[in-house]
Amino acid sequence: MPPRLIQVIAPPVSAPPAAPAGATLRSVEPAAAGSRSAAELWAGVHLAAAAQEGWLERLAGAAQRFTPRVSLLPPDGLLLEVRGSLHLFGGVTGLRAALDAECRQRSLTARIAFAPTPLAALAAARAGQELVISDPAQLTGRLAALPLGVLRWPEETLARLARMGVRTIGAVLRLPRAGFARRFGVAQLATLDELTGRAPQRLPAFRARERFRRRRDLLSELTRHELLHAALAPLFTALDAFLRARQCAVVELECRLLHRHAAPTRCVLPLAAPAADGARLHALCGEYLSRQQLPEPVRACELRATALVPQRPVARSLWQPGEHGGDEQAAGGDLIERLRARLGAAAVHGLVLREGHRPENTWALAAPPAAGPQPRAAPVAPPRSARRRPLWILPTPQPLAVQGGLPCRGGALRLLGELERIETGWWDGADIARDYYAAVDLQGVRLWVFRERGAPHGWFLHGIFG
Amino acid sequence: MAGNPNLTRLLEHPAIWRGRTAARRHGLPSGFAALDAYLPDRGWPRSGLIEILVARFGSGELRLLLPALSALTRAATARWCVWVAPPLLPFAPALVAHGMVLERVAVVGGARPLWAFEQTLGSGACDAALAWEARPKLRELRRLQLAAERGHALGVLFRPRRAAAQSSVAVLRLGLEPLAAGVRLTLLKGRSARRDTLELTWPADGAA
Repeated sequence: MPPRLIQVIAPPVSAPPAAPAGATLRSVEPAAAGSRSAAELWAGVHLAAAAQEGWLERLAGAAQRFTPRVSLLPPDGLLLEVRGSLHLFGGVTGLRAALDAECRQRSLTARIAFAPTPLAALAAARAGQELVISDPAQLTGRLAALPLGVLRWPEETLARLARMGVRTIGAVLRLPRAGFARRFGVAQLATLDELTGRAPQRLPAFRARERFRRRRDLLSELTRHELLHAALAPLFTALDAFLRARQCAVVELECRLLHRHAAPTRCVLPLAAPAADGARLHALCGEYLSRQQLPEPVRACELRATALVPQRPVARSLWQPGEHGGDEQAAGGDLIERLRARLGAAAVHGLVLREGHRPENTWALAAPPAAGPQPRAAPVAPPRSARRRPLWILPTPQPLAVQGGLPCRGGALRLLGELERIETGWWDGADIARDYYAAVDLQGVRLWVFRERGAPHGWFLHGIFG
Repeated sequence: MAGNPNLTRLLEHPAIWRGRTAARRHGLPSGFAALDAYLPDRGWPRSGLIEILVARFGSGELRLLLPALSALTRAATARWCVWVAPPLLPFAPALVAHGMVLERVAVVGGARPLWAFEQTLGSGACDAALAWEARPKLRELRRLQLAAERGHALGVLFRPRRAAAQSSVAVLRLGLEPLAAGVRLTLLKGRSARRDTLELTWPADGAA
């Protein structure tokens, strides 16, 4: 005989004001609360004094040993769903003692209450009553005596309710639903539904901030960089597995080398882009290490990554970098990072154009894009005269000796063509007034020289047409 | 010989070249028709190390390479064009005026130019890399040549003229002397039997 299919048509829980006008808040409660909340038991932890920044997170991290379902209600509330773990910690009594011990260890005083709905547990804890309500049928009855302040409604709402003579949860639950929603808003009605378990309360689950920290004690003290690099390999393998399991990437990595007496050698790898590839990070770290001077032999090494960012894994290209159609973008970023690691960040530059008329300020050195060569974006057009400019420029013009009115550089220079006068920049104090010439020296090298129009009329070398 | 299919197949291998009938390969157009005709691969090699020997820095060697380098940076799948430890700074407006895309240009300074040059060539992330080094050792040149082939990059090494007497593993060596409005080129080494010189005149486009 086939099993009978029973279709249960339940009223939508998201439309509380649809209840009949005459019904009170309490009268419809048991039917809805029964099925869902019986399976749950929440522990509400209310800290007596608002904890310092970060302490609540630490307490939540510690509380994760009781249950995976931990939620934060800043500034002073913590909620744990503990039905499944009660038997592991000696029931409600044992769990309360363990939670209390966690709080006392951190010098925090807390009130702990147990109830089938999260808000009810927290409300009881806020009221200072360490209730244990395990039966959903008793929920509203045991909450009835609590003052309304524990719901943390706006002051104005509480004052209006107080003027009506409604001061406890029991009193407010006896009010007609429709009228309550009309006068005090749907949000407040939803709070009451969450309190009684009529509607589920959505709580963001607490996720402990993760970080990577591994230490490796070396069997013998190392001084050579190559051996040290090899000794770091297991740490990077662990980092790779750690990041892969969490689909995360690091943006900064710190490698510490611990010595016997001297302070640890710190080596911070600032990454241009989030990286998750352990082998690549290992190679990069090797480049940084090769620049470090070690004061003493190394006894232990430690790897720390504090800032993790989520990363979507990308499909690898079939071709190796450099092959036709290979992954140039990734390889391009790699190359720049490797060069910067070994030579220092200041050693690698890109070039950009600037708006300007003086030869000195029409261009600038810039950091190269980290993720590889970018497609060009709206470039500054060079002036039309730029094609007559030299390909090489001296950072600062170099004075030339003068012989018989003509500049010389290993011999008198021969000036070519006509002069180009550049006279501009009076507005920012770095004004120039120069007559530029192309010139040829004795070996046939073309130079870009200028003569100052100002008083000493000196000759300068400013570029080489290459 | 023509009847031996095995030998014919063997001789078609790109790693084997014979002086006169070297395997025709498509080089990188240099931007000068006369130079394309002069160079063994009808253009610059697409990968490998080449040497340009000049008596003095600034004799026109950069002007000679610039059309090819600019074309590389303008390609849709362009990789980096890296200048390793140039003696002076390249003047960005003039590079752009010659058609170069600055977003693909990186200038690397620092204390170890040959290391950086080899890393760049072998990375597979660059199309071309330029370096200025007076006296690299033969072992280093060999490493550079291998790196350039591994990374499919054109490595250009500028050396003084006196280096012509030393042996080199570069696929192409050119001597260069400045002329009034151009350069005179001498093929010192290449996969070709030519040993004559070429006088190249810059196009009269206002570039002095």
